[in-house]
Parts: sequence; structure tokens; C-alpha cells
Amino acid sequence: MKTKKIYLILLALALVLQSVSCVKDVDFDQVEDVVLTPVFEADFIFSTFDTAQFVDPDIDPTIIIPEVVVDDTLNYDLLGSDFIVDNLEQVELTFEFSNTIEREFEFDFGFLNGAGQRIGPSFSITVNAGMGLGTDPVPTNEIIILDNATINILGAATKLVSEIRVQNVNSTLDGVLELKSKGTYFINYEL
Amino acid sequence: MRAIIFLCVGLLSFSMFSQNKETLYDFTDLPQSLMLNPGADTNFKYHVGIPFLSQFHANAGLRGASLFDVFADDGRSINEKIETTLNTLTNYDYLTLTQQLEIFNFGWESKKDKNTYFSGGVYQELDVIGYFPKDFAVLAYQGNRDFLNRPFRFSSVSGSGELLMVYHFGFNKKISKRFTFGARAKLYSSMLHLRSARNRGTFTTVETPQGSNIYQHIIGNADVTLRTSGISSLREIESENTADGAKQVVNKLIGRALLGGNLGLGVDVGFTHKIDEQWSVTGSINDFGAVLYTKDVETYRARGNFVFEGFETPIQISGDGDQDFLDELEEAIPLDTLNNSYITMRSLKVNGSIKYSFNQYDNGTCNCALDGQKGEFLDAFGVQLFSQFRPKRPQYAASLFYYKRLFHFLRAKATYTIDDYSYKNIGFLVSTHINKINFYISANNLLEYTNLAKARGASLQLGFNFIM
Repeated sequence: MKTKKIYLILLALALVLQSVSCVKDVDFDQVEDVVLTPVFEADFIFSTFDTAQFVDPDIDPTIIIPEVVVDDTLNYDLLGSDFIVDNLEQVELTFEFSNTIEREFEFDFGFLNGAGQRIGPSFSITVNAGMGLGTDPVPTNEIIILDNATINILGAATKLVSEIRVQNVNSTLDGVLELKSKGTYFINYEL
Repeated sequence: MRAIIFLCVGLLSFSMFSQNKETLYDFTDLPQSLMLNPGADTNFKYHVGIPFLSQFHANAGLRGASLFDVFADDGRSINEKIETTLNTLTNYDYLTLTQQLEIFNFGWESKKDKNTYFSGGVYQELDVIGYFPKDFAVLAYQGNRDFLNRPFRFSSVSGSGELLMVYHFGFNKKISKRFTFGARAKLYSSMLHLRSARNRGTFTTVETPQGSNIYQHIIGNADVTLRTSGISSLREIESENTADGAKQVVNKLIGRALLGGNLGLGVDVGFTHKIDEQWSVTGSINDFGAVLYTKDVETYRARGNFVFEGFETPIQISGDGDQDFLDELEEAIPLDTLNNSYITMRSLKVNGSIKYSFNQYDNGTCNCALDGQKGEFLDAFGVQLFSQFRPKRPQYAASLFYYKRLFHFLRAKATYTIDDYSYKNIGFLVSTHINKINFYISANNLLEYTNLAKARGASLQLGFNFIM
């Protein structure tokens, strides 16, 4: 009889404990609202154009080369994963040129797909002329924004093509053009 | 990615302690006290735990935050709460999860020597600890833009998890009226094991005004290792995706539980010393041992240095030619998969206590003491200390306790514990002893019991025994 009573008491105690123990004032559905919005910065491309490497200084200065064009294609698939394409909201490409060569330059770049075809827009930047060797470099800064629609198209990119062109070059031209750039990647990832 | 985020949120959403069983330690009315101190001053003729029901123990918690911090229904955006919690947590905060289930447990008094008590059994244990990888959680949640020139440390990635079966046998001997000593040998059969610790190296985005490009992204002295055993063969089953895949996994795990896993040896030792009739000191170490992993072992290791500063184009002065970022990264920091055996120490636990007993049963008006044991003390209080060795640094806890034998059939113990996470952890154990059948239940963090979401951790033990 006594035993029964004790077990009844214990049972009651267990029920009380169970009823007071709970997880209150919390809403686990909020996990649906979790959005990760990290911002990553990564170097993009860089280059140095030194006139000495493109024009032989011993050439007669009266000879004018109408246009020097340098182009390059490189493997590029940083936008290639589904995760990036699906969750990348925007990319800002920041270009910083500094020029001491007394000529304007034209810088172009774009993307190719696996079949070698041009996809998405082509981009072009005009770089201000410098004031000659030994002077302060003249800066040209430009930000190109790739929106989500463009990123979706560029998801198929496997190569990056770039080109730099300068006109009316002769052997007296002296100086350096430097290009630095970075990409700022705005992720928006919903759980 | 989703898994990583869930892990991070999971880390944020619990808070916890360790394998401390402060209510059960030195509770000598229960045979399970021999599992914490083989030298406990117990007094049984024999005991048998009810199979699968003699002890269930679960313990979960997170140092540094609680569920409430992240999931509070307070009108604030969850993203804001995650960010606030993220800023509060450090690399030393962690999630632990421990669960134990006694399969069976038995013991008997030696016929040759009444001062010797043998006990043995089998229990299953799951033990997980994951340190909060703050550096990489910040990188994933906020990116690197606001953390230029600041290293993200691979050492912040650290954790281990193991599922194993433990076969044990021990003895407890009253060497003199004042001194009891005990030891227990353990054979571990590991079913699954994962461990990543002592990682080194950093990832830093450095501004380089004089450099070739705007930044340098530097992975410096990276040395990151993940050891696994028992995982790769299960993954093969999963990838076949057969209907009986789950059954195959269970069969494999049962095989490993039955000594077919990676085996190890360990020992528990402990003592009780009665300074005088009322004062006593106890001490024990548990799981001093190691497991040797030789079967189904896969260790992943990445080591190296890498610097990325963008792609040189269209003019390549350096003449690097065809540049492929991922190929270069893989070449600089190759990921090796090794099958070498490895050995890991079990997580050592140390307990100690000092106890003062009083209120000796002597008036004969109640039946508070067990038959033939007149003169037992009905009350006791004291201090207990606990420490457990973990991958980064030991955990500590200190408890004050009060033991009360309320009736012959009802004994209880209350504890007040201070540890890394809480200064107000109250625990309670009730043990009933009726007709040789014993039932006990214990829980801690009772102050948080009305809303476990705010608790940094909780622990529960319960079980049935047949005690003589």
C-alpha cells in the first residue's frame, strides 16, 4: 500500500516536472528567415605595360606605329559553380589604372563559353593619358557592376579575354601603365 | 554549405557542460556510483541493472550562448540576433553532446572476501565536442571585406565525435575500515570516430599598395587534418542507395559494437578515505586509456602555402603562361587521403570530493536506515570537483552538495554547480529503494527548467536496478 502511494507521488512529480519544463518564447520557424549576406573581396586581374618592352628604343623616333594591340585569353571559371550563380546578387569590378605614358589607352575585356563563343556584355574602359616618365602617374578608376541577370549569363563562362590598345606609338614614348583590379562579391544566401 | 550553416546554428543553439554527473558522484546508494569512482564506499551484496534501463544519461550544452539568444520570439530579426551572438562567441566556446546507455550492469560481493565487490557490464557512449569555429563562421557570415589584413586561423576548427561500446569489469576493495580502493578495466570497441584538432595556418587578405595588385590572398603554413574511422565504408553503402542501406549500416555498427570495431584499452581507478567517522575524501580518474584505429581509417590532410593576387593579363611580364587558379591551389596545397593507423587518447575525467556526514540514525523511532546498518548517517554535505580533458583545454566544474536520506526508501541529493557556463546550476537526484527495486532520476539546471531555451545546458540520468 505504502509502495503504491510512493509511486503515485513519484508519478505526480514526474508529471509536474514534465509540465513545467518547456521551451518558451522561442520561434524555431525563424530559421526560414536566416539570410547570409557576406561580402567577399578578391583580386581580379593585374598587368603592367612598360613601353620599353613594346617599342625598341633604338628605332628611329620619326617612325610612328599606328596601333599596338596586346590581347590574352585565360581560363576563368570563378563564376562557374551553381552555388555562386544562384546566390551571387551582384559583383562590383573595381579597376585602378595609373599611367605615366603620354597616350590614352583602350582596355577591353569579356568572357567566352566552353565553345569559345563570346557571352554576356563586353566591357571597355578608356585610360587617361599620363604626363611622361618621372611625373606623378595619372589615375583612372572605374567600377563595373554585374547584376544578377548578367551573372546568370556569365555562369557559363570558362575563359576571360582581355585586350589593351594604344595608338601612335614611337620610340620616344616612355613610361609605365599599371592596372590593378578587384572583384567585390555580394552573396545573398537564404537557408 | 547548408550543412555548415546548420552546424553553426546548431552550435549557437545549445549550451552545455561536459560529462560531469555531479549528482551521481559518490551517491553510494546506487551501483552506478562505481562507474564514476570504482573506489566508492558502497555496501551491496549484489546488484543487477535492468537491461537497457539501468542507466540512461544525456547531457547537452553550449558554452557561450543559448537557444534563446538566437531563436527568441522578440520581434528582432534572426539575422541580427545571429550577428550579436556571433560577436559574443569565441573560439573557446563549444557544443558538447554526451549520451550513455547501459546495456547491462551487474555486481556481486566476493564469497571469499566480504570486503571485495566485483562489478562489470557494457555500455554504449556517444560523445561529441565541437568548438565554435569563430574565424570561419565570421568569414562565412560576413565575408572578408571588413576583415582585411586580419588572419582567419585554421586552429579555430577543432572538434571530435565518437560512438563506441565499452566492456568493463572492476573490483572494489575495503582495504581497511578507513580506506577503500577500486579499479576497473575497460575494453573499448569504437564504431565511429572523427577528430580534427591542432590545425595550423591562416588565411589572410592583405592590402598591398606597393604590390602587383590591390591585395594578396595568403594561405600561410596551412596544416589541416581530419581523422576518421568507420566512416568511409558507411559512405560506400550510402552511395549505393539500396533499399536496405539503413539495415546494412545498422548491421555494420552492431558488428563493430560486438568487438568488431577499432579496439582500445582503458582503466578507471579511485578511492575513498575516511579521515574520521564523519569526514571522508574521495578521488577517481576515468577513461585513462586510448583507442587504436586501424580499420576503415581515412585521414585527410592538406598542407602548404599559397598566394593569390589575381590573374596577370593581358600583358604577362612574369611569363606565367596559362594560369588556372584551382589547379595552382591544388598543387600548392594538395589534399592527401591517408590510411595510416592512428591512436587517440580517450577524454580523461577526474573527480574528487570531500564530505562531512552527520545526523547519525540512533533513536529507533523511524526506519530510516537499511536493515542491519544501524548507525548510518542520514545527512551529508561537501564539495566536489570535476575536470575533463578536451582537445583545446580542460573543462572544470565545482559543486556543493547536500545528501539526505529522507526515509529508508527515499534518498536524495541536491547540488549547486559552478562551471565554465553557469554560476547557478542546481541539480537534484532522487532514488527510491523499495523491495530491492531501485529507481533513480536526476536532472540539473533546474532553475532553467521552466524554459530550457534559456539554459546553457541540461543533463538527465535515470535508471532501474535490482539491489541487495
